[in-house]
Amino acid sequence: VPRAGLKKYVLPPDYSGIVFPERTKLKFMDKVPAVPKVRREPRQLRDIRGPSREATDFTQGQYGILALGGGYLHWGHFEMIRLTIGRGMNPKTMFAIWRVPAPSKPVTRKSLGHRMGGGKGPIDHYVTAVKSGRLVVEVGGHCEFGEVKPFLTQVAKKLPFPAVPISRDGLREMRQEEEEKRLNNQNPWTFERVVTSNMLGMRKYLSPYDLQLKGRYWGKFFLKHRV
Amino acid sequence: APAAKMAALSGGVAPWCRGWLPALQFVRRGSKAVTRHWKAMHFQRQKLMAVTEYLAPRPAVPPRCLAPRKETVEEDNGYVQLLRRQVEEVFRDNRMIAVCQFNSMPGEDVVLMRHYLRKHNIEVKFVLNEIIRPVLSQSKYKNLLPLFVARNILLVSRETKVKEMLRVLKGVPQINLLGACIDDTILSRQGVENFAKLPSLEATQGQTVGALALLPSQTSSLLQRGSAHLTALLDQHISRLQAAETGSPAEPAPAQSSEAH
Repeated sequence: VPRAGLKKYVLPPDYSGIVFPERTKLKFMDKVPAVPKVRREPRQLRDIRGPSREATDFTQGQYGILALGGGYLHWGHFEMIRLTIGRGMNPKTMFAIWRVPAPSKPVTRKSLGHRMGGGKGPIDHYVTAVKSGRLVVEVGGHCEFGEVKPFLTQVAKKLPFPAVPISRDGLREMRQEEEEKRLNNQNPWTFERVVTSNMLGMRKYLSPYDLQLKGRYWGKFFLKHRV
Repeated sequence: APAAKMAALSGGVAPWCRGWLPALQFVRRGSKAVTRHWKAMHFQRQKLMAVTEYLAPRPAVPPRCLAPRKETVEEDNGYVQLLRRQVEEVFRDNRMIAVCQFNSMPGEDVVLMRHYLRKHNIEVKFVLNEIIRPVLSQSKYKNLLPLFVARNILLVSRETKVKEMLRVLKGVPQINLLGACIDDTILSRQGVENFAKLPSLEATQGQTVGALALLPSQTSSLLQRGSAHLTALLDQHISRLQAAETGSPAEPAPAQSSEAH
């Protein structure tokens, strides 16, 4: 016999410690920095390789987009992010902040159809380098993850590197899972162990950077399933 | 020999350059370290990656075979505690608690019924079984547990006006009396009807007082009976003597009357 029991009321979420910045919408990022660079810079792809050392944790917001690979973001990407998030969020109840700087690294391109040689090409556009494990944007305010997730996934799919929308709890859980995997790995042979003790002369086939990258990174890619 | 030496050292450089190249030079060919495409790994590196993959722990007994740990969700809201406290208060304060089955009634009928019962100082309380059951099972009213199964209401009051309550409930066919707890005594439906038929407390008290006072009231007359009898006889004797003094023709009559005595 179906009966109605006592209704368990769910308390509304507590948004007590949230401070809104002055401008809730994302700032417009310039295509070219205020002082454009004269000297053409070498390619330096090492700013894509490996794990990120900055902007790995949340500061003001509660949800964000985490980069799971390295890549360059140019002005088109910035505009896409700004407009999509601006369209999806409510500026009165939510805010969004950039966690990447404006494009400052010059990228040169030679004009089409020319042979090799003749010097380095002129500066074509500017980009920002993003390493894996870095937050791109942060969103916060009086909102839940479910409200924010749709437009953040929309943005994350369009980025040049694999990215996922996550919340503070999600990031914490991800790190915990990685730690647990590392601890309860049944395989006695780990990449780190082989590399640090140079078993079987493996370092001949590995890069000296593999001592820090430990088999989780290959080029600009982040191998999530490894250890 | 010097040519061979120079050739062996640095491949034909002038003799004043004394530097030497390393004996083993890795051939650096192919793309850079960071590429847009997935760079092909050296076979040895592939083998190393395959060997050092993650192996998940496998417990001896798979968790499917073990009994599932029932995660007890004991939330106990403040609301539930409040209702429990209210129920305990009800059971403590009121003298008469009647449990009735409640079938769906139109709203105005409910209000009317409540009004009539309110006039006799009887309150109607709607209770939820899932709250009342644990409260009763821990208190002394364990035998009331089988009553709280389906939708039910409690009629509580401080006085025991059972007759009026039964009269009101008779007029409302959707509410059936299941049982009552009057003055910490559990009564069934029959018991409640019998209880209603009893005279009121004051009347019974008066009856008992009268019954008890009957004997003491008689003791004084009992004790005085002997002396009262004697005084009655003496009074009669005196009256007879007076009658004999007043008139001689009245002698045979008092004599007859005294013989009759």
